[in-house]
Order: sequence, then structure tokens, then C-alpha cells
Amino acid sequence: MLLSECLQHASLIDCLRQSPVDSESIAQMLWAIIALPLAGAFVSGVFGRMLGRANTNLIACAAVAGSFVLSLLAFWAVNDPRTALLSSFSQDPVRYAVAHDFGTWFAAGTFRVHFGLMVDHLSGVMILVVTGVGFLIHVYSTSYMGHDEGYGRYFAYLNLFIAMMLTLVLADSLPLLFVGWEGVGLCSYLLIGFWYEDAAKAWAGRKAFVVNRIGDLGFLIGMFLLALWVAAFQAQTNNAGGQGRALEQWRIGISQQGPLTFRGLEEAVRRIPPAAAQLRDAVSLDTSVVSGPLKGTTFGQVLLAVLLLFMLGAAGKSAQLPLYVWLPDAMAGPTPVSALIHAATMVTAGVYLFSRVGFLLVLEPTAMAVVALIGAATALYSAVIAFVQDDIKKVLAYSTISQLGFMFMGVGLAVFWAAILHLVTHAFFKACLFLGAGSVMHGNAEETNIKRLGGLRRQMPWTWATFAIATLAITGIVPLSGFFSKDAILHGVHGTDLQGYPWVSNTAWLIGLCAAFCTAFYMVRLYVLVFEGDRSPEARTAKAHESDWPMRLPMVVLAALSVLGVVYGIPLIAPASGGPAQTVMENYLSTVSAVPQQLARIHHTLRQGHESSLLVAWAQAWAIALAGGGLAGFLYLRYFPSRPKLQVPAFARALERWVRHGFYVDQLYYFAIVKPTEFLSYVLYKVVDSFIIDTLIVRGVAWITARSGAALRYLQTGNAQSYAAVMALALLCAAGYAVIQVLK
Amino acid sequence: MVPINNYLFLAALLFCVGMFGVMVRRNALVVFMCVELMLNAANLTFLAFARQRGDSVGHVSAFFVIAVAAAEAAIGLAIMIAVFRSRGTLNIEEIKTMKH
Amino acid sequence: MSFLQSHLVNLVIFAPLLFAAIVAALPQTEKQQIRVATLFGMAATLLLSLWLYLGFEPNGPEFQFEYRARWIAALGISFHTGVDGLAVSLMMLTALLGPLVVLASWSFIEERVKEFHFALLFLQTAMLGAFASLDLILFYVFWEAMLIPMYFIIGVWGSEERVMAAVKFFLFTLIGSLVMLVAILALYFISQPAGARSFDYGQIYNSLLSATREVSSCARAGGVCSGLSPLARNLQTYGPWMFFAFALAFAVKVPMFPVHTWLPDAHVQAPAAGSIILAGVMLKMGTFGFWRYAIPLFPVAVRDLTPLLASLSIIGIVYGALMCLAQRDVKRLIAYSSVSHLGFCMLGMIAITEEGAAGSAYQMLNHGISTGALFLLFGMLYERRHARLIAEYGGIAKVMPVYSALFLIITFSSIAVPGTNGFVGEFLVLLGTFKSALPRFFGVLAALGVILGPAYMLWMVQRVFFGPLTHSENQRVRDLNLRELATALPLVALAILMGVLPQPFLSRLAPATKLFVARASLGANAASDDLRNLEMKVLDLPREAALSSRPSSATAADNPPTSHTRAFEPHR
Repeated sequence: MLLSECLQHASLIDCLRQSPVDSESIAQMLWAIIALPLAGAFVSGVFGRMLGRANTNLIACAAVAGSFVLSLLAFWAVNDPRTALLSSFSQDPVRYAVAHDFGTWFAAGTFRVHFGLMVDHLSGVMILVVTGVGFLIHVYSTSYMGHDEGYGRYFAYLNLFIAMMLTLVLADSLPLLFVGWEGVGLCSYLLIGFWYEDAAKAWAGRKAFVVNRIGDLGFLIGMFLLALWVAAFQAQTNNAGGQGRALEQWRIGISQQGPLTFRGLEEAVRRIPPAAAQLRDAVSLDTSVVSGPLKGTTFGQVLLAVLLLFMLGAAGKSAQLPLYVWLPDAMAGPTPVSALIHAATMVTAGVYLFSRVGFLLVLEPTAMAVVALIGAATALYSAVIAFVQDDIKKVLAYSTISQLGFMFMGVGLAVFWAAILHLVTHAFFKACLFLGAGSVMHGNAEETNIKRLGGLRRQMPWTWATFAIATLAITGIVPLSGFFSKDAILHGVHGTDLQGYPWVSNTAWLIGLCAAFCTAFYMVRLYVLVFEGDRSPEARTAKAHESDWPMRLPMVVLAALSVLGVVYGIPLIAPASGGPAQTVMENYLSTVSAVPQQLARIHHTLRQGHESSLLVAWAQAWAIALAGGGLAGFLYLRYFPSRPKLQVPAFARALERWVRHGFYVDQLYYFAIVKPTEFLSYVLYKVVDSFIIDTLIVRGVAWITARSGAALRYLQTGNAQSYAAVMALALLCAAGYAVIQVLK
Repeated sequence: MVPINNYLFLAALLFCVGMFGVMVRRNALVVFMCVELMLNAANLTFLAFARQRGDSVGHVSAFFVIAVAAAEAAIGLAIMIAVFRSRGTLNIEEIKTMKH
Repeated sequence: MSFLQSHLVNLVIFAPLLFAAIVAALPQTEKQQIRVATLFGMAATLLLSLWLYLGFEPNGPEFQFEYRARWIAALGISFHTGVDGLAVSLMMLTALLGPLVVLASWSFIEERVKEFHFALLFLQTAMLGAFASLDLILFYVFWEAMLIPMYFIIGVWGSEERVMAAVKFFLFTLIGSLVMLVAILALYFISQPAGARSFDYGQIYNSLLSATREVSSCARAGGVCSGLSPLARNLQTYGPWMFFAFALAFAVKVPMFPVHTWLPDAHVQAPAAGSIILAGVMLKMGTFGFWRYAIPLFPVAVRDLTPLLASLSIIGIVYGALMCLAQRDVKRLIAYSSVSHLGFCMLGMIAITEEGAAGSAYQMLNHGISTGALFLLFGMLYERRHARLIAEYGGIAKVMPVYSALFLIITFSSIAVPGTNGFVGEFLVLLGTFKSALPRFFGVLAALGVILGPAYMLWMVQRVFFGPLTHSENQRVRDLNLRELATALPLVALAILMGVLPQPFLSRLAPATKLFVARASLGANAASDDLRNLEMKVLDLPREAALSSRPSSATAADNPPTSHTRAFEPHR
């Protein structure tokens, strides 16, 4: 419909919401969103050298830009109120979602996986972030990697990463999500170890991959258990409670699409009545599984195990305790890679996963408590480590881990919209910070030690401005987007009550406040040491030079987005169902989080209500941010510079060393896990394989055979007469035997 | 009529003498002669039983034995000549190439 | 049935032998001619085999393209060949690797070229025949025939300690096979009454069906029962032993722990071509033997021994991976990784679920491609540097970028990154393990292979390809030439294709998988299985007059007395 026609009978906003392309075409085109960066990766990788630097840059950026345009169209289609999707799992159409099934991937027995892609409000936001920020970083990379010979390889890997991340986000089933999940891990390995001639950098890539794999193990086992769970549910559930037709429809959907699609899981979970309802013959969370491999456990227990295993996977991918150790080392890769992968997109996969399966999470308060507490603990833990880091990228890495902890806190206590909002704003300001760090490194001959920088405020104005804005955003000293998103999480966490674990929300909230204080402190410390004051005498170059426009432009755009993102965080919209005003993001994501909220209500697993008013929460958060930032500013602008010969007590120095090395957790893992495994394999090889099996048994048998042969050889005397004597003896015995037999 | 046992004892005696000779004597030609002795002992046994049974089965067998003995003597003596030519001795205890 | 229908399998099996005869007639000095002729022969086999593969109907009868002719009728041995889904896939794999092996040895083998290529072609025939035979003695003949050319390939054209490795390989496999021969003979005598005996696989299986069910219901009831038919009583007494004999032969081939120690030596000492064939095809003989013979013929024994077999498989997975971490020699590392991967195959079969069996069958194909490619690629590096130790390399990616890229892709296939073929196989195997009756922690232990795999492979990749160029000899190695690229690319492309579009391959394996699971779980639960669904429908022996086979369905009224397909209907 043309705009002019539309304006005749509807308002401008409503007309703009109608997408130009109908949802069916968008659905069929979804594969192109992934295919474009994939094609770009292939072309850059194989033909990069032939095409030359400029062409490769163009192709790579164009691929992501094209993907961004398509994502925009998909996003637009999903916003259209007319969009409705017929799902094979239920009779009612699903609104605000677009999906298409592109055929079977693989199928065996009762299990099948399809190439199904789906866009709804949640993935719509994600694909925009991935392709948008990805595009900016591609542009930045054209200048940052401008002197590197491996540009073809670099852009191939980067495009492949975008394709894999999009697969992760667009997947409509868990196995396909896992494809993207591992794919981004693979690209992370390739990109961290990009400068492979440095053995340490290559090693960092390998560490990332192996630690990720430990998490992926949890994810895989969780998937298998979930498939078993669905099979048991299918077998045991009956049509009690008037759900006959719905269940019938669901069964058809499962047989057509496989057991692990998100839609199928959601519909299954909606058919579970609450335990309190005591419906006879219905399958509830307390029912035991009667047959099959899960026999003896209840449905709820299996679900809890699945969620905890997913948390293990998310801990690996999103660098939470205890599997965060790869992220600080991942800073060995090029800085744009750190910006894209380790700040904006890959590490957020765990948060996305839990938002996707939010309807499973809200059924198990224990799992929610675990997720929230891990998130909170990680947030504080890594914030403390960030206090004493001297490497600019390491500070940002630990900061990322900390912010991810915030997001997991939000997810754990079912404030999904706040976690996603923080994901988006974090993508903006953290990417801006990393790009700024890269710019600083570029302009200072790759210096990363912040103690050797300083005074860049006047020498690199553009970098300074964007970095400052992003710092303000992350700390919340000036209420930019980061302030509202972080506070949304804290406020939501504070107001949620978990059934059975009433202390969790308050604990998480308090830890979150401490972590917010720490965030403000270390970020301001970083900013002050790098940009304020005088240039350090140990700097590598006399003067720092500002970067050129391909590096400046993305930083500016991201900084602007960090500011503009405020819009999503301010409660402006009155929801249709009454209650307090919602933020734009909350309202937007309500289409996705409606089901988890409904389930939480029905099963009485949590209660969301705000004890304190929003303004009080804002005031508290702002005060904390100011306190943290102010303390850091005071210490590093006034206190330390005015006492250059300050004697730090030995105890404090030892403490600082302990914290700076990450509490020596890396060494702990090395001595507790890596060394024993290597030792075990060495022992097994030398003792069991080489000695016992090969030498004792195999060669032993051969030796015995040879020795017996050598012994029996002595029978061959070569003397014909001795042979004749033996024959005669045998004849005698035979004759004697015959005589005896005859006489018997 | 001479009882058959006498012939059988004689044949057994001849056989044992021959066997003893095969196992003990060092000269290859003497060993051959002892083998002939053993064969003739078998012949004697055959004939004795043939006489007792009254049919000619034993005689036929004896003819077979004689023919085989002749063939064996011919080949064996030829081998002995070849061995003597290559080694210069007919002492069996010195012909031990098949020793391990 | 047309001429092609009945004779295509024989053509595929004997085409390499024909070309072997041609190669034998060529003069010894014309090395290039010999190579071209062999390549031609392998390519012809590949085309025929592709025809066979594409002509195989996934939804058709179990055994297709059957051929049966009288051979040694007095002993009940007939020349009976035919393919089911798994056999035709493995034959396709064998035929695919054939030309690649010849191309890999193009510049590497310079002495006794004629004998080498003759051995390769002979080996090809033997392997194809083993997959396709449906008569136990015929299978045994091809099985043993495989050993001889492989022995020569390792022993003549291998590395320093080649003779030791060749002898070890030969004797190890032979001992297993001899025990299997005893079991085959035992089956022959036990399973059928005198006068109607034959070595035909279908006939033996059908004869054992009802006896197996009796034995399994007896086993469910406690173990000591009366009223068993004499056949069932024999089966109960000797079944476990016969299974053990078959299992020993196949376990040596797979190789399973603890009879695996021949493999590292054989791989290290063999030339590249030998390693590719050994890892790519011959190891699958073991798993194929379990799939086709050991497990379906003795399901009760398998059920009793499931914990042991599953434990051995998992030990294979974890132990094999741990071994890899301690290796200094690249080929030895890849050899131990084979032990680990085939542990997954075995586990999928022992789980006796459809997902697990499908994963196991698919993993057989995957392993052939990815490990074959690993040996192929490393052979190219070895040809340049004649060094096998990891310490002699370092920083290779700088001087051989294309090679490193291909090697990296194959590494990812080996560690089961989604998007490559390894993922589909491992996923299905692990899913099948969790779905089976095995305890949970078996699946968890097996999944440890997912972590250990990247640990050793990426460690090796890093030490060989990444890092600084430490040795000066490595600076002069050249990247892949066109021939080498053409040899490696098909495998790399297949690794990705089979990962993204596995369904065409899986659909050919699906009916064989279903039947395997049904046969292996015969008698597992109290519900009676319909034995008619499990019977093998194979060709009958052709009549005396005509020498060509004549198809006869199971319902034909004029069955010659050697057929027993109607004699064992379930009677109650």
C-alpha cells in the first residue's frame, strides 16, 4: 500500500509500521541474510589475494551491509501488526513473527532437525545489532588492518563470523542454534589466533576453543536430555484437562519438525498444568517418567538438569564463572575482533539462549537462582580484577565479563527485556570503547599499557570524545543509555521474588550495586590514565596521531547510538493491560516474554512487583555511579599524581599482584586439570599402551612363540636313525595298545 | 605240518634284527640291507598266513612287497652313490644337513 | 532383472582386477603408463560404483543388485553378491578413495612401481568384494585376500621399521580371522540340518531366527529352561562363543581396545597410500563386520555383553584421545585419533537405537573421508620433508597457506564442528547413546571425546602450522601443486557437503539401519517380534541347468530344496 493511500485513513506511525514487503516473501528470503556474509567469506578467502585490498574490503563490507538491509526489512515485517505466522504446533497463528522451513537437515529414527529460520521481536533486535555493529566494525577494520597482508583471510573469517552469529540468532530449533553457537566459537578461534606466527597468540585461540568446548559439552548433553524429555512427555501426556485437540496438533508438529524446535518446546510447556491444580492423569512437573531412559526421575528434575547444563554452555560461551578464563587471553586478537566478537555479539549468545528458552527457565526456580547468582558473582569478581589491570584491552575484557554477569542476573530473575536492553546498549558502548582502544593503540605504536599513555585528550580529539561518551554510558555518571539499561536490570532484580529462594533477589541486587560501583571506578580510572594528565614519559612515540575516517566514523556512530539508546530505556509507554509505565524495550519484547511471564504466574515460581519506586532506584544508582567515578577521579587525578614516591605496603602490593593475575585461577586450572590430563595421557601411553599391551602381551606372545619354536627345534637332530628310533617306539606303543584292546 | 607260529616267530625275529640294524648301524649300505631284511620278514609273514588261509592274497601282497623293495633299492642305491660322490662318506651320522 | 541389475556389483568388484591384469602386462620401466593405467582403472571403478550408488533405491528391497551362481555346491558355497544401504555406501567410499590413492602416490613411489599399482588394484577388488559378498566363505576369502597386498604395501614401500609393522599387522589380523573361520564353520554345522547346509548368509540367518527368539525368551525367564528345540539349545551353548570369535576378528580390525596396538605401527610405517586405504576403508571392515554379521546373528549374546562392549568402546574413545595427547609423531597421533573416532562408531552400534545406528553408519563414512584426507594431506607434507615428528615442523602455515587451509578444514571435520560431516555423525551417536538402555554416565563419558578431540588436534595443528618458522628446512617447502590440490579438494568438499546436506546419504542408510536395530533387538522385550519382517529375502541358488541366476521370490512355489525361507515361520 502506498504511503499516501495509507495516510488517508490511518496515522503516520501506523502507516510506517506497515512493511513494504509482505511477510511471506520476507520469510522465504531469510536464508539470504545468512548467505550473503557466507558468500562474502568465500570470495574474500579464496579470491582475496587476486582481487586486491580495495575490492576485498568492498565485498566484505557490502556483504554485511546487504545483510543489514535485509535484516531491516525483516525487522520491519515483524513490526507490522498484520504479520501472523501459522505454526505447525498450534491452531492459533503467532503474531509478530516470520518463519520459514527450508527443508530437512538430518533425520534418523524419531529425531529430526530442519533448516528453519525464524524472526520475531527478540531475534529482530539481535539481527539488527549483529549486522549493524558488524558493518561498522568491518568499516573500521578496513583501516585498522590496512597494513596487514592477510586481509583476505581476515575478512573471510569476519564475514563467516557474522554468518554464524546470524545462524545462531535466526535458528528456530536448538540444534541449528548450536550450529551457530559452535560456528562463532570456531571463528573466534581463527580470529584470536589470526597472527599465528606468534605462538602465544595461537595458543590463546586454542584455549578459547577448548574452554568453549567444555561449555558446549554441557549444551549438547542438555539438548539430548531435552530430546528425551520431549519424547517422554509425548508418550505420557494425555488429553486430560480438555487439551485434546491442542495436544494432537502438538504431536503432529513434533513428528514433522523434530523435538527440539523452540515453538514445539513452548507449546509443550504450555500444556503442563501447575502442580497445585492436581489434575488427575495429567503430566505435571512432579510426575515421574514411567518408561524409557529417563525412568524414575520427574519431569521437573530433568528440566532442571537441562537448564543447569545450558548454564554450563552459556558460561563457556559468555565467559561466566567458571569458564571465563579464555576471554582475557582472547585480547591477543586484532582489536576490531575483540570489539565485535568479545563485546558485542558472540559473548552475548548465552544471554540470547536463555531469553529464547525463557519459558523453560521460569519453570525451575532453582535454575533461575543458579543463573542469577552466577551472573552476580561473575559481575563482582571480574569487576574487582579490572581494578588493577594495566593493559587497556584487558580492562575492557574484564569489564565485558562483568557486564555479561549483569545480563545473566537479569535473565536469571526473568527480567528478560532488561537483559536484552543492556545487551543492546552494551554492544554500542563496549564496541565503541574497544574501537577507541584500538584507535589509541594505532596512534601510539601499539602501546597497550595504560601507565605509559596519558594526555591523549588533546592529541586524539575524536577518539577522546567518543571514548568519553562511551565511558559515561557504561558507568552511568551521566544518565545515558547504559545507565537506564543497567538500572532496569537492578530494579527488576530487586523487585522479583523467587519461590523457595527469597534471599536470591536481594543478594543479587546488592552484589549488582557493588559491581556497579566497581564499574564506575575502573572505567574512570582507565579514562583518566589514558586521556587525562600529561603524556607519560615512557610513551613509545613523542606524539600520538589521530586515526583516519574509516576508524573515526564507526566510533562516532556507536557513541551516538550509546546516547540515543536512552530512548529505549525510559518508561514512556502505558501498557494496554494497565500497571506501571513500560519502557519501549519492555513493551517491544513483551510479545516474546508474554509466555514466560504467564507461565511464571501459573506455576507460582516468581512474583514480579516493584517494592521501591523507579525514581528512588534511579537516584540510588546515580549516587553509586557518582561515588565510584568520583573516587577514581580523585585518586588518579589528584591523589596519586601528587604523591609520586608513595610507598605502598608489601601486603597491598602482594594483594594487587594476586588480583592482577586473576586470582591465579589460570594457574589453578593448569595445575588441577591440564597438567594431570597430560600426565595421565603420558602415563597411559608409556605404561599401558607401550609397556603392558604392546611389549608384555603382543611382543610377549611373539617372544613365547619364538622361544617355544627354538626349544622344539632341538627335536630336529638331522640324524635319520634317531627319527627311525622314534618311529619304532611309536609303532611299539601302537602295537601294544592294539594287543591290549584285543585282549580286553 | 610246521605250526604257523614258528614262521611268525621267525619273521618277528628277522624284523626285530632288521629294525635294530636300521637304528644302530652307521654304514648306509648296511642300513639298506637291514631294511631289506625287514621287508623280507614282512614277506614271510604274508606267506605264512597265505599258507594258512589257503588262498593267494598273501602271495599277491608278497609280490607287491618284492617289487617295491626292488624299486626302493634301486633309487636308494643311486642316492647313496650321489651322496658318496658329494661327501665322500657313507656314515649316516655325518650326513646331518637337516639338523636345526 | 536386466543384465546390469544382476551383474553391476560383479563389474564393480572385478574391474580393478581386470586393470590389475593389464598393469601386470605392462613393462616394468614404463612407470607413467602404469600409473595412468591404474588411475584409469580406479576411475572406471569409481564410475561404476557411482552408477551402483545412484541406482540403489532407498525404499526398495533390503538387498539389491543381487547375483548368485553355483560355485562349490558340494560344500554349500555359492558366489553370492548383493548390496544393502550400508554396503553400497561403503563401496562408494572405497571406490572414491581409489583414484585419490593413485594420485597421492604419483610422485612418491618410484621403485617397483608396477608391483605397487598391482597391489593397489588387487586390494581394491578384495575390499569391494568383502563389502558385497552375501556368502560367508566368499566373505572370508575376500577378507583374507585384503591382507596380502596390504602386507606388501607396508612391508616393501614403507618407512624404517616397515617389516616389523607389516608382520605385526598381518599376524594380528590373521589370528582374529582364523578364529572367525572356526566360528563360520560352527555356524554352518549348527544352524542347519545335514543335507541342507550352505554357507549362504541369508539362509543361515533365517534358520537361526526362531531359535534366537526361543533363547532370548529363555534368557528373560532366568536362563535355565526346558523345552528348547535342539537348535536353540545349541545356540544357547555355543552362541556366545561364536559371537566372541566373530567379535574378536572384527575388534582387531576396528580396532578396539585392547587389540589396537597394531594400528599405530602400521600407520607410521606405511606409505601415504597405504595409510589412506588402511584408515579410509580397511578399518571400516571391522565395524561393517559387526553391523552385518556379529550383531544380527547373535543378538542375545550381544545383549549379555553390552556393558563390556560399551565400556570397551568408551575406553576406545577416551583412551584413544588421551594417547593422542602424548604423541610426538604426527602419523601416530592421527592413528590414535582413528581409534577414538571408531570408538564412537562402535558405541552407536552397541546402543542399538535408530539414531545411534544411523550415526554409527554415517560416522563410518565420515571417518573414511576425514581421516583419509588427514593422511593424504600429511603424506604431501612428508613427501617434501621426510619428517614425521611434530618437533621438526612449526610455522608451516606461512609457507603453505593453501595447504594449511585445507588441513584446517579437515581438522574441523575431525573434531566435529557443526557444518562438517563429523558433527552429524557424532551428534546422532551421542543422542542414540542417551536414548539407549545404557546408563547415563556412559553417554557423558563418551561426550568427553568432544572436549579431548580439539585438545589434541588443535595442539598438533598449532605445533605444526602456527608459531614461528623454527627450522630452516621448512622455509623452502612449496605449496600444493595442481595435482595435489585436485586430490585433496574432493575430500574437503565432501566433508563440508556431507555436513550441510547429509540427508541424501542418510536416506540410503535408513532402511538398513531400521533392519539392523530390529534384528539386534530381537527378543529384547516381551512383545513378540514379527519374524517375517526380520527374515532376509535373498536370491535362491540357481537351478543346475542354467548357469545364470534366476530371481525367485519367497512365495514362488518351485523353491529348490535348499531354500528355507518358508520353513521357519513363527509357530506357537
